[in-house]
Amino acid sequence: MRKFRTSLAIAAVTALGLTACGSGGSGDDGGNGGSGGNGKSGEGETLSVWIMEGTNPNADAFFKKAGQKFKEKTGAKLDVQFVQWGEAHDRFVTSIAGGTTPDVAETGTTWTAEFAQAGALAPLDEQVKAAGIKEDLVDGLVEAGTVDGSLYGMPWYAGVRSVIYRTDVFKELNLDEPQSWDELLKTAQTIKQEKPDLIPWAVPGGSQYAAYPFIWGTGGKLATQQDGKWVSGLTSPEARQGIEFYTDLALEHGLSSAAATTWDATDVLDNFAKGKLPMAILGSWAAPTLIEKNPDLEGKLGAFPIPGPDGGYSPSFLGGSHLSVFNSADNPELAWEFVKMLTTTDLAAQWAEETNYFPGTESLLEKSINSDDPMVKPFATQMVEAGTTVPVTPKFGAVQGKKTIPAMLQSILAGDKTVKQATSDAAAEIEEILNSK
Amino acid sequence: MLAPALLLWPLVRVFLFSLQEYGLRQIVSGESNYIGFDNYAEIFSEPMLWQIVLPNTIGFAIVAVGGTVVFGTLVALLLASLNRMWRAIVSSCIMVAWAMPAVTGTYVWIWLFDANTGLVNTLLLGAGILDEPHNWFTDRWSFYAIVVLNIIHHGFPFVAVTVLAGLLGVSKEMIEAATVDGAGAIRRFFQIIFPTLKPVFAVVVILSTIWDFKVFAQIYLMPGGSGSNRSVLNLGVWSYVESFAQNRYGFGSAIAVLLTVMLLVVSVVYVRTLFKEEK
Repeated sequence: MRKFRTSLAIAAVTALGLTACGSGGSGDDGGNGGSGGNGKSGEGETLSVWIMEGTNPNADAFFKKAGQKFKEKTGAKLDVQFVQWGEAHDRFVTSIAGGTTPDVAETGTTWTAEFAQAGALAPLDEQVKAAGIKEDLVDGLVEAGTVDGSLYGMPWYAGVRSVIYRTDVFKELNLDEPQSWDELLKTAQTIKQEKPDLIPWAVPGGSQYAAYPFIWGTGGKLATQQDGKWVSGLTSPEARQGIEFYTDLALEHGLSSAAATTWDATDVLDNFAKGKLPMAILGSWAAPTLIEKNPDLEGKLGAFPIPGPDGGYSPSFLGGSHLSVFNSADNPELAWEFVKMLTTTDLAAQWAEETNYFPGTESLLEKSINSDDPMVKPFATQMVEAGTTVPVTPKFGAVQGKKTIPAMLQSILAGDKTVKQATSDAAAEIEEILNSK
Repeated sequence: MLAPALLLWPLVRVFLFSLQEYGLRQIVSGESNYIGFDNYAEIFSEPMLWQIVLPNTIGFAIVAVGGTVVFGTLVALLLASLNRMWRAIVSSCIMVAWAMPAVTGTYVWIWLFDANTGLVNTLLLGAGILDEPHNWFTDRWSFYAIVVLNIIHHGFPFVAVTVLAGLLGVSKEMIEAATVDGAGAIRRFFQIIFPTLKPVFAVVVILSTIWDFKVFAQIYLMPGGSGSNRSVLNLGVWSYVESFAQNRYGFGSAIAVLLTVMLLVVSVVYVRTLFKEEK
């Protein structure tokens, strides 16, 4: 994902326009629909779709438009249901059990492999190949949506966390964007001295994604596969050094607060919105929420990629959503038609723009990369230069479910365990879960 | 015929699940996958169960049930001694505590004990008792102290109202006779009121025990309570983290079966002691 293949992207876009959707069913306008004859295969049908709530403040208007376009193209009606992130996993599971799954659903990148392995999703390789867009998909999202060599999740949008900071505080104290961990520490220490009311660098014990850059920054690994077995890298000197630096920001340097030990990502967002945090690791999508919660922050937000220990960047988790087609879909061609429309047409660009996420195709992503917007560019840099993913195995969801990393952080921050002890315990737990059958 | 079947079939299903390795794949395929009593063996061989989960669950239930029943009874006695109007006013006030959803109540307590802006910390800092903000949620004891407050606050109205109903049925003549004979308030309570109200107390204690054993939201929603603070796990949250957060439905069912058996035993013991003494 490091290099953008402009020529391929153009080729892909061209191909898109020309493809007559080889996998059958209807096609793009002008395509000679294989089965429908007149190109409208979905006349009289309804496609049920689940979309996560809260990603896009204009979701209603967006899907009204998408529904119209879909109807024009296929003749089928679109039935969109919004599902809360918090309850979505349970709803998927119960609907799988009860046979009431939708035709198409937005699936978080860390869930796709899990549902695919359980046999609930349909592979999309043929359709993607026929549409000629394989090369254009963002690598990190393809990787997360692939199980045993087959793609089950069509990259829709991606997001990455970097550091959002208060430009007014930095300007007042004459601070520059830190370029290394050492500079990050010094910046936070200056803020602590000059602005004692602020929490210079909160270390949230409940937020795994804020901690990963410090594990990955030194070259540490959560888990890697060696000879068919998962081995956790948390006990490596690199990982321990990173975790020690991160937790020492709170323990040794007093840059965090007692409350932050039990904070999760939402608490970080809330406290940033209340003006208590001058810097925090947040996603690009957080900026509109912050301004909505506290309009005073308008024009006072900046962002920089998470610095590496000695310059460069620390990798950050590349997350996002896929669009997946369920095996239960009555008309898989129709379902794919919708997936393709949402992920490759101008609707994809519109969605990304409205949500402050990045699109899942490289040709669209390139526009964001070249953007001069100070709230877009740092995240784009982070994504391209230092975006990475958690171990790709359906079992990693179980590690997240067990809160292994938050438990490790909290036990260190609360003073219950040393870094050495806590990382050993967490590594053992990760290996136990990933290697279970 | 139909009613017992409707009640029992889910229980039987849960028991059957508990004998299987039942994950998302089995849900999709609908196949069964029996592994005997492996899930139970795994539960009992888990050191977490014996060191953390059971002590937390049982210890908490004893303290919370005791606290709820005692406080609820005191409030009931207070209500019984009030005139009609004040009784109506006070009981509507305590109904508010009862009517508050568990989730809302829990957030109020979290907010009170918040380490940055919480009222408790602000008061203690102001009074000079604390030097710097303290996070009450990281320590096992202070964490459960807050949960106990939350549960008593939420649970006492039920006890108060139920016991009050019983109190109003205690014969006035007996109490007056005892007073004439020189029995004080405490003696009257333990020698007349309590024996008369024994069935009421049995119901209240059994129900409270069942509720407090399976308390979930009030712990899960607390900072660190959803699994990241391992020292505060109770049976409900532990089973959720171990099974449902990891799609191990068979394992989760086994824990549910155990919880049911434990509660059945507790209830049977209560009911039997009650009837034995009545004979």
